[in-house]
Amino acid sequence: MYVELKDINKTYAGYQASNHVSFGIEQGRLIALLGPSGSGKTTILRMIAGLETPDSGEIVIDGKVVNNIPASERGIGFVFQNYALFRYMTVYDNIAFGLNVKKENKKYIDERVHELLKLISLDGLEKRYPSQLSGGQRQRVAFARALAPNPHLLLLDEPFAAIDAKVRQELRSWLKEMIEKLGITSIFVTHDQDEAIEVADEIIITNKGHIEQKGTPLEIYQNPQTAFAATFFGQTSQITNYQSFHSFPKVDNVDKAIIRPEFVKVSKKNEVQRFGPSASEGVVERVSFRGDSLELLVNVNDNQIIAKRGLEEKSIAVGEKVDVFIYRLFVTVGEKAMLLENQSLVDDSVFI
Amino acid sequence: MNQNKQSGFVKWLLITISVLFLFVMLVLPLLVVITQAFKSGVAAYLKAVTDKYTVRALLLTLEATLTAVVVNTIFGLFAAWTITKFKFKGKKLLTTLIDIPVTVSPVIAGLIFILLFGRQSLLYPILKACHIKVVFAVPGIILATVFVTFPFISRELIPVLETEGTDEEEAAALMGAGAFTIFRKITLPHIRWALLYGIVLCTARAMGEFGAVSVLSGHLRGLTNTLPLHVEILFNEFQYVPAFAVSSILVILAIILLVMRSVLEHKGKTTKKPL
Repeated sequence: MYVELKDINKTYAGYQASNHVSFGIEQGRLIALLGPSGSGKTTILRMIAGLETPDSGEIVIDGKVVNNIPASERGIGFVFQNYALFRYMTVYDNIAFGLNVKKENKKYIDERVHELLKLISLDGLEKRYPSQLSGGQRQRVAFARALAPNPHLLLLDEPFAAIDAKVRQELRSWLKEMIEKLGITSIFVTHDQDEAIEVADEIIITNKGHIEQKGTPLEIYQNPQTAFAATFFGQTSQITNYQSFHSFPKVDNVDKAIIRPEFVKVSKKNEVQRFGPSASEGVVERVSFRGDSLELLVNVNDNQIIAKRGLEEKSIAVGEKVDVFIYRLFVTVGEKAMLLENQSLVDDSVFI
Repeated sequence: MNQNKQSGFVKWLLITISVLFLFVMLVLPLLVVITQAFKSGVAAYLKAVTDKYTVRALLLTLEATLTAVVVNTIFGLFAAWTITKFKFKGKKLLTTLIDIPVTVSPVIAGLIFILLFGRQSLLYPILKACHIKVVFAVPGIILATVFVTFPFISRELIPVLETEGTDEEEAAALMGAGAFTIFRKITLPHIRWALLYGIVLCTARAMGEFGAVSVLSGHLRGLTNTLPLHVEILFNEFQYVPAFAVSSILVILAIILLVMRSVLEHKGKTTKKPL
């Protein structure tokens, strides 16, 4: 493990920001710390950087315990949420800052800055001040500034939060590509699940100061281990009485069941339903156009379930009676989540 | 239309009142100072201004002002930095304490120092043993001036540092910059104009200080007399022309500072780059 946190605790004025946090990150990976605001993800990032000190526990980077090494000597690149560019310095001076501090020779600094300017495609703008740049350009300068001294670890705090939606999309792919190209171990904090799924090699889900789950986006998506991880991804429907749907095995002490839209098949009464006997009847309450699909809200036995329907399929009207078949669902028992398959699928393996 | 007419009337009324008030309260007294100073001709004016005791008083005023500004610049920077960059217990109390000199009457400040360093003080034997004379001597005057002017610079800096936040400093620290580099390259450019503005205000206040200095000075002509005290002495001796002539020096210094203040304010506004 390149970066390792061992049983980290941190309390701010009675608020437990980190609660027995432990995880490890392999070299060269791009990791997302994903969680709602107040879940302690930024605190973790700041402790790794050395901007905060844990109350207990060890932080290990590259085999060394760094708890007592000051932030300035950890050799970490940090991109701040609002970039924190030096507003009284030009783009050039911003990027050169870390190199100047290290007293590198002028020629090397000049080469390195121009190399980075090219990397972030801002060559020609080195004389501008941060206030004369767009949000996306500032983000890229912040990135270049953090990379200039060749850090071994790059930390990014909500790197896309302050950028408008369209540019954000572009920057995400750009950043992922850049980090892959450079092979630098990176950790970024985000509250946006799409961002985490799209950018990260691995996701660490945080909630209320502790780690809920760590895994690749696919693993977490397909196999959430906790109730929180199951609900955090996607637009889920939550029902209390999953036994009202046919052919699911019985589990004791279930608190609720979580259903993702893609787990649901909605068919019109006159359509052939392959698992007819296991389907339940429901009434469509709302149909919304979602660009690439229709989103249906269907009431089945007083449970409201969200489902998707392709645009090429026959249209469904509000108030229409439909058959609803559920392939699988997650049930939660306390903090734990488990996947239940619809028993009528056991012989036929149909996957999404 | 009616609305416009009315607001036009109000506007002119308010302007007239303001101008009249300023004229009576500020411009008229200044004119009186100048005319009185030159009442007996330029020669008398020059004689009063170049008088031995006047020059000594001017030098003492400049000495006290310079010391106060230097001390308070350093203290103000430290205090503002401490209050805005760190979290600690008693921060509110410290912020309030800084304001004491503007709320306490300068005369009382002077008396406090007399009690603290004078003959009846417990410190007096120690000071005497070290041959340090504070009361009725130059150190006392400087002390009083420093005391009275010390909130000016920190008060200017605190709001600027507060709005700036600590991100840029943190970013610089993460790249390995030391405290001095961070201060010089990151913090100072931010607070430059506020700092200069605070220095100007501090200078103006220090030059004009009367109350606290008056109590501590002992009015020893040529030794512990500052310009404002000198004016008072001359006036009490019915030497009106010299009194007004010396006053005019203070007026001229004040005008220079006012101009500097306006220039700084203007510069501070135009060079401020939005984030």
